[in-house]
Amino acid sequence: MDTTYSRRSVLRTGAILGGAAALPFGFTGQAFAARDRLTVRVVRDIQNLDPANRVSFIEGNVIRAVCQRLISFKPGTFEWEPDAAKTITQVSPTLIEFELKPGQMFHGGYGELTAEDVKFSFERFRQPGPDGKPHQYAKDWEALDRVEVTGTHTGRIHLKTPAPAIWLVTLPDGSGALVSKKAFEALGDKVKNTLIGSGPYTFAEWQPNQRIVLKANPDWKGPKMAFNEIVLRPVQDPKTAELAYRSGELDFTVIEPTGAKDMARVANTKVISQDSINFVWIGINVEKPPFDNPKVREAIRKAIDVDQVILAAYNGAVGRAKALVAPGLLGHWADAPVHKRDVAGAKALLAEAGHGGGFKAKLTLLNRPAYQTAGVVVQALLAEVGIDLQLEVLDGGSFWSAGNGDAGKNLDLSIQRFGGKADPAFQTQWFVSEQVGVWNWQRWKNPEFDRLYAAAASTIDSNERARLYIEMQKLMDQSAAYIWLTHEVNVFASRSWLKPAILPNGDDLQFDKFTDA
Amino acid sequence: MHPTLRYLSGRLLTTALVVVGAVTLLFALTLLVPGNPASVLLGPRATPEAVAALAERMGLDRPLHERLLMFFGQVATGNLGTDVISGRPILTMVMEVLPFTVTLTIAAIGLAVLVGVPLGCYAATNPGSRGDRVAAVLSVSFIAMPNFVVAIFLLLIFSIWLDWLPVLGAGEPGDVLDQLVRLILPSVSLALGWVGYIARLMRSSLLEVLGEPYIRTARAFGIPDRKIVYKYALKNAAIPTVAILGLGVGRLLGGAIFAEIIFARPGIGTLVYDAILTRNYPVVQAGVLVVVLLFVLTNLLVDLSYAWLDPRLRPQKGVA
Repeated sequence: MDTTYSRRSVLRTGAILGGAAALPFGFTGQAFAARDRLTVRVVRDIQNLDPANRVSFIEGNVIRAVCQRLISFKPGTFEWEPDAAKTITQVSPTLIEFELKPGQMFHGGYGELTAEDVKFSFERFRQPGPDGKPHQYAKDWEALDRVEVTGTHTGRIHLKTPAPAIWLVTLPDGSGALVSKKAFEALGDKVKNTLIGSGPYTFAEWQPNQRIVLKANPDWKGPKMAFNEIVLRPVQDPKTAELAYRSGELDFTVIEPTGAKDMARVANTKVISQDSINFVWIGINVEKPPFDNPKVREAIRKAIDVDQVILAAYNGAVGRAKALVAPGLLGHWADAPVHKRDVAGAKALLAEAGHGGGFKAKLTLLNRPAYQTAGVVVQALLAEVGIDLQLEVLDGGSFWSAGNGDAGKNLDLSIQRFGGKADPAFQTQWFVSEQVGVWNWQRWKNPEFDRLYAAAASTIDSNERARLYIEMQKLMDQSAAYIWLTHEVNVFASRSWLKPAILPNGDDLQFDKFTDA
Repeated sequence: MHPTLRYLSGRLLTTALVVVGAVTLLFALTLLVPGNPASVLLGPRATPEAVAALAERMGLDRPLHERLLMFFGQVATGNLGTDVISGRPILTMVMEVLPFTVTLTIAAIGLAVLVGVPLGCYAATNPGSRGDRVAAVLSVSFIAMPNFVVAIFLLLIFSIWLDWLPVLGAGEPGDVLDQLVRLILPSVSLALGWVGYIARLMRSSLLEVLGEPYIRTARAFGIPDRKIVYKYALKNAAIPTVAILGLGVGRLLGGAIFAEIIFARPGIGTLVYDAILTRNYPVVQAGVLVVVLLFVLTNLLVDLSYAWLDPRLRPQKGVA
């Protein structure tokens, strides 16, 4: 074949390739271009923006930036301050009075925020949705009796029972979001993907799976927002997020704790590491033999070296949890025992229980690298006392259904992780008897625990509440059904010029309180 | 009936059966996957009442055959229902992301053809040469490299070290240049393996055709080599490649998911993947239905193109 390459053809090809190579210059680093725009990663796209039916913290973060609440958390803490409320007072254990600041306007021309909107926003949680079914977050307002409107800007929240947790779990969070009654009536089902609030940011744009844009509310009468625009980019893969951050396409992203050291070397970057209030533990099904024998559970707890497990799973980036409620929260059990590994003691207990020759068991866990590593370590540790542990690694869909209904009776051991909130009522609710077959995968029923839970939920005195929650954790410890691993740590990569506001649980970002440092 | 029409109607019937079979199989598979969709979707905060209510809204309390019939009924009327979580029409959700996947697939397959065919032709016309050996090594390397590894390397080289190309997304709406730039890395990462396949396939089929008697006859008539290769041999040698391309488009449509996840692009792959993780079966079914439809339509077009490429394969009167 006659194949010749002329000088002209080579030059032409080179020019085309060169042009193609030069073309993309200037397309990266957009995040650096203007400080009035902040680009933040979200781990998945939003799905439902109705505060009563939001899916998770992803929607909650957007809702709190767009909608005011009567009170909101101060930046990075669980201390609250008035937000839409000028004043708010707990008049009695079941009565809260509020007065709204005047002139707070809803976006999109839906008028001023009034006490009628407050009534609508809260009472709708207790009413069935348009399809007659309960709202997903109905439980947050379980204690609500009614909201009484006493004036355009004033009203009273009547509770059926005292509910101290609403000050930390409900009022300042997504379930306390104040929405426009007029907008809800006009938008109908569109409220799932349209958000009308009176907050510092407006919900300006949503391109599914591409971006969500929040724009500073020009009518906002509070402090000026640091950024005119906050762009949220759904990026599932943590490695992609890391690369996008390095290339300048993101200004702020959550990262894996194990990647913190590498990210700290990136120019203009600070790595923020904060202890979390979430909780990761190994749960033991107390209904299923041989785990129904407390000695077997105690033997397993003695056989597991928690420090070794978390060192391997989290590369030394997290601390050890001693009990359910994390340090810094009301009800934290500071004197909780730290169970040390005791192989001889574990073997002796197994022998006493009639299992001196060991037995086979199964550890069910989520297919995340940290849990898988933890599972392998636990497997090796239990092998030393004669327990042959099989790992059952499941994807999220299968894992989160593993303990539901009768399927939960087949669980042996499981590694679980639940998110925390500011009040221990939230953390403890999953372990009451009625949660067996739902989220109480240990299937541990203790009437005294249930009684204390109910008492604490309606006790106003903080010291007494703390004492009750500590008592509940003592009961959990006595059961030996819970081996606490860690409260985790939240790690973020942030541009050095950015001062983010992250609540202690690490999931809840306060976009309206992000500032340019 | 005209043979072409008869052939076409037969192929369309087969296509419809494939679609029905694929969707039925998918429905059956949903029975085997553990996990209650309602509780997975609602997460750890859900009350049993909320889980039960969502299960009812999703139609999960109905028998499988009823759900299957309902789905086919929806397909027939062009209404795939509403997503219970977002409240958005499922068809809208699918159609929103479909152009991104189709664009990515076309770009990848186009790139694979543009590079693979000339590479294969060069290797076939210079068998045993140094260039042929280099092309062989390159082709096999491209085939052997997993796409996600290629994607990560491309990102490291072109986005981080050279800072030439962006990492995320599909580009600003309306900004064609931005969209094209953001298409480069995902399409290259998808195309590279196919470059290898096409180059190797093209080389072997072209070598075979170049050994045919009619090519020797053409050479004996003194027709220039370039004309023999590109006008006479290439068309016949292209048939196996076209067949592979048909399968390739289908595989890329379904396989674009990793590129969509790594490059955080919207697309059918990520839509279906997310829906699988949350057991949101109505969205999974709709996404898979569209992919199956595109797959069988592409293969139908490929089958029809054989007749254009090779007159011997055209339907004849009186021949079944």
